[in-house]
Amino acid sequence: MRAIDQGIARCMACGSLTDRPGEPCAYCGGPTALRKRNSLQRVWAFWLAGVIAYIPGNLYPIMVTESLAGTSASTIMGGVISLIHHHSYSVAFVVFFASVLVPVTKFAIIAWLALTIQFDWPADEHRRVEAHEVIEFIGRWSMIDVFVVAALAALIQVGGLMTISPGIGINAFALSVMFTMLSAMSFDSRRIWDTR
Amino acid sequence: MGDVRSVGSVPAHLRALNARWVACGTCDALLQRPSLREGQQARCTHCGSPLFARKRSHAERTLALMIASLVVYAVAVMYPFIRMERSGISNQISVIDSVSVLWRNGMHLLALASALLILLFPLMRILLLCGLAFAVYLKQEAGLAFARVARLAQALEPWSMVDIFMLGIIVSLVKVGKMVDIELGAAFWGMTALVLFLTMGASAACRDSTWQYLRDRF
Repeated sequence: MRAIDQGIARCMACGSLTDRPGEPCAYCGGPTALRKRNSLQRVWAFWLAGVIAYIPGNLYPIMVTESLAGTSASTIMGGVISLIHHHSYSVAFVVFFASVLVPVTKFAIIAWLALTIQFDWPADEHRRVEAHEVIEFIGRWSMIDVFVVAALAALIQVGGLMTISPGIGINAFALSVMFTMLSAMSFDSRRIWDTR
Repeated sequence: MGDVRSVGSVPAHLRALNARWVACGTCDALLQRPSLREGQQARCTHCGSPLFARKRSHAERTLALMIASLVVYAVAVMYPFIRMERSGISNQISVIDSVSVLWRNGMHLLALASALLILLFPLMRILLLCGLAFAVYLKQEAGLAFARVARLAQALEPWSMVDIFMLGIIVSLVKVGKMVDIELGAAFWGMTALVLFLTMGASAACRDSTWQYLRDRF
């Protein structure tokens, strides 16, 4: 038996039950609704914003290095490749994992979750709940590249010898990560079980 | 009516509803509320997701870890983080420098966002969790203020990114470690301890017990 069938909603903040969906929770004042309002619409809106921001985030440089040898700008993939050239394979993997693999996988998984609900695609419920939990947990770690750039830019200011400054791509990348986090948060996992 | 209500205004039928029933946050199954002892966790019989938990002495442990976090937070923010040297030129940075460099390069919004994610949100979360744990530990009254603090602390959780910042620092050290000489400052160890205490604090704190504490005051 589902709570929605009894007209009972669960407070999204404290988990208390109420028989008046839509009114603030009597215990904590948090929002209550039988299902998150317009959840799929929000998921898609944030998803699209995230995908759009991800493009300049990858095309524009995230870091500009000025040294005696000249000025060079590096993109996210450029940074990974230079780490490989310096034989820092494990760090190259961490950055590649957090900045490329995780965002792209996240886009794919969120789209798949939303589509299975929109078009009633058959898919195992437990598998989908797991997928949602994984992206909620791992998504924020993509911010790592933003902090790497901030740390490097602050640290490497050696007068005329070498200076690192942040590139404009990092703005778009940070936005993309935050939009994707919001997209995953807007998803209502209870919709996965509604078709049964 | 918005947020406005007086303590004790929860209708009797809602109190009865919540005393007997619980809904799974993952699949919306309506289940009879099991009574748990400390240290136990209930799972949904329909989808298998965690339903709620009663963590052992959550208030005491959270309080201890948050006070420890507050101390190392001060160290992490106030002291120099890293010192680097190359060809006789040295430069040392603090956490605040890594935010202000973004500002100085014209990325005002990103600087602001970073200041929130690695400085303000973690601090707010530490203070809010401290307050909640203190109230539960001292068996204080819990009303609207308690609920607001608990909701805010919960909402801040994914946006408090000290752990990610720390990993970012380590990655950037590896990136420049071969070019310049690096010396780790007090704030580096302060930040390491902060990440450790915050992670332990997150697993010691018990949301469900905290909300149950609130419900029990009505």
